[in-house]
Order: sequence, then C-alpha cells, then structure tokens
Amino acid sequence: MIDITLKRLLSFVGFLLLQILLLNNIKFLGFITPYLYVYFILLLPSSVSKEMTLVWGFLLGLVLDIFCDTLGCNAFATTFVAFLKPYFQNFFGPKDDFDDLTPSIDRFGFNMFVQYVAYLVLIHHLTFFLIEAFTLSVFWFALLKAVCCSVFTLLLILSFEYFKARRR
Amino acid sequence: MRTLILFLLRFKTLFLFLGLELISFWLIVNNNQFQRNHFLSSSNVVVGSVYNLSDKIYKYFTLASVNASLAKENESLNTELVQLREQLAFYRQDASYTGRRYHSVQNNYSFVTAKVIHFSAGNQKNYFTINKGENDDVRVGMGVVNEKGVVGIVNSTSSHFASVVPIVNASSWTSATIKGKTHLGQLSWKGKDFRYATLQEVPLYIPVALGDSVVTSGYSSTFPEGFMVGKVISFSERNDNFYDIRVELAVDFDKLSYVDVIRCQYADERSALEKRKGRSDD
Repeated sequence: MIDITLKRLLSFVGFLLLQILLLNNIKFLGFITPYLYVYFILLLPSSVSKEMTLVWGFLLGLVLDIFCDTLGCNAFATTFVAFLKPYFQNFFGPKDDFDDLTPSIDRFGFNMFVQYVAYLVLIHHLTFFLIEAFTLSVFWFALLKAVCCSVFTLLLILSFEYFKARRR
Repeated sequence: MRTLILFLLRFKTLFLFLGLELISFWLIVNNNQFQRNHFLSSSNVVVGSVYNLSDKIYKYFTLASVNASLAKENESLNTELVQLREQLAFYRQDASYTGRRYHSVQNNYSFVTAKVIHFSAGNQKNYFTINKGENDDVRVGMGVVNEKGVVGIVNSTSSHFASVVPIVNASSWTSATIKGKTHLGQLSWKGKDFRYATLQEVPLYIPVALGDSVVTSGYSSTFPEGFMVGKVISFSERNDNFYDIRVELAVDFDKLSYVDVIRCQYADERSALEKRKGRSDD
C-alpha cells in the first residue's frame, strides 16, 4: 500500500518536473505546448476513489500553477478532469473487470483508449485556456489552441503507452 | 442534521469537486486582482531553487556548444598571438642587432654568421659543424650564439670549417648567471633532453624565482655579458648550500640553422693577461 502511494507520489513529482522543466518550454509554432501532466490523472487506477482522484487532480494543478504563475487555472482544469475521469473510465473502459483497472491501451483497446484520452485531454485544455483567458470572447481561438495542443499531448501520451507496452 | 450529513455524504464527491473548484476559482480571481500572489508564485524559495537547478542543468547541456565557441575563439586568439609574436621577434631582432653592434664596438666583439652544416646528435657528446673556419677568423674557444641565445663554444677549427661543442653536450659546461645577479653558476647538460639543462653552484642566499632568465656573465671573453641561455623552470635546494636549478634552454637545438660566432678582438691578449695574473698569484 505504502509502496503504491510512494510510487504514485514519485510519478506525480516526475510528471510535474517533466512538465515544468521541459514541456512548458516547448512553444511549437508559437503557442502549441503539450500538457502531458494530465496523463497522471488519466492513469489513476479505478481502485483510487473519486474523492482521492479529485484531491490528486487539484494538487497536481495547484503545484503546476505555483510554478507557472497561473494560480488556480491549472487547478481548476485538472480538478474538472479528475471529476470526469471516473465516469469516462467507466464509459470507455472494459465492462468486465472492475477490481483494479489501470487505464492502458492493453486494457481499453486502442480505439477506446484514444477516445478516453482525447476527450479528457481536450476538455482539460479547453477549460484551461478559457479559464486562463478568463473570458469567452476568445472561445474560437481557445478551441483552436486546445485542439492543437490536445493533438500534441495525445501523441505524447500514445508514445508513452507504446513505450510501456514494449517494455512489458 | 442527520439528513444533512447523509445528504453531504451521499454527494461527497460532488461537493468535494465543487469545493475544490471554488478554491481554484477563488485563487484565480485573487491572483488576477493582485496580479501576483507573492506567497504562491515563482518568487518562492523552493520554486526558485528548482528553476535554479534547471538552469544549471540546461547550462550543463549547452557546455558542448560553449566549448566549441571557446575553442574557436582560442584558435583565433592563438593565430593573433603567433602573428604578434612574429612581429615582436622581428622588432626584437632588430633591437638586439643594434645592441650587438653597440656591444661589438664597445668591447671589440664582432660576429661571424655561419650555417650549421652537420649536427651529430649522439646521446651524450653532441657536436656540430659550421661552414666558417680559420679563414674567417674563427678560433678555438670562441662563443657561438644565435638569435635566441647561447649555442656553444668552438672546439676545433680547420681552414673552412669549425666544430662546435653545444651546451647540450654532457662533457661541456658553461658559466652562466641569473639575470641581475653576479654570482656565477655552472651550466651543464645531463644528456637527456635538448630542451633542458642544469645550473649548479648558485648559492642559496641568492633569491631565485621561477621564470628568471639565465644569461651569460661576461666574465670571460667567450661570451659578452647578458646573452640569453634560458629560463628557470624549477629549482631545488641541495644540502650543501647550493641550488639545483633546472633551466629551459632558449635555443631550440632541434632546429639549429644559422649561428653567430663571437670574435673578441683582444681575446688572446686578455687570456694571456689573466693567465699571467694567475701565475703571479701562485
């Protein structure tokens, strides 16, 4: 149990560091930045309760906010994703086993996994960009940005998945 | 009350969600109002140190390109250095030429320029041959120098050639002194490396520093005063109150081409006088 928590904490820190130190510096075409750190929430197994998922999500966003000087924006978006994540997991995930399901391509199937990731990532990005702008007047640009960044994030996540699959 | 708690428990996820979102929202609004919340921002110590670390790591990874640019700069500076050195050597040579003329007029020295035509570089007893001999007034015992410094002493002559014992001959020794001091030391070569010789017999009370010039003393007619022999590169103190000084020779014996033989017009007279004086002292 402690081992699992420790591992999760390490991956929490790992994703944050990766995001802060590396990915945030990527500004492809001037505005496209992959927000891979959401992947941490998407990867939480089903054994983690909805409340804990929310707390993890909130903390994840909050720490990132502190580092990025966007206090609240990421926390808002990640909490939202953390709230939706269990429902999406139930919807896209396999229906047969419920004991301890860690989302992955193997368990979901490629199609379902891509949808699961794509929707949540898009929702996260859109929420984040709109909250960041703090107005709906930039909705279309935010949508474009969210879609572009989502594609990047999705590609990164999928490459991570393949990496994991190959290691196994 | 009970119903309220039950109600809250039933929708605890939703309430937690809403609570967290409210906190986020409050943070956003707060942050937008005050622009920068100093407590939770990148001015924070922890945040600062993490960024500091990342900066260091980033710099580490750019070392390669920094190195490359430094190497390039080094190269251009070296080129410039060599050019300036050549220029300096050119002007120095001129100056020393004037100096030599002055010297020769004052002390009745004159120079015969000769080409080194053979250098028998054995292990210990090195000799070389120059293309000037008795016909050009080259005599046994004359000093030989080049533009860098002292080369050796003529040890035998024929009508057109002369044989010279360089200072890098294990059986030869030359007297030399640290520039600015008057105490004679004995310069000998240990038979290993053309670049280095040893200066001995310099008493310990003479201050010696690394990089000091070792020059000829002018106490004999062989070499005028102040010809460069080499530079002190290391020294140790022996038990018998003398230094053991390692000297880097000024002359590059691997690339010896032209040398000057020093003729002292009254050398014979001087040595005869000094001999006579010595005899009368006995």
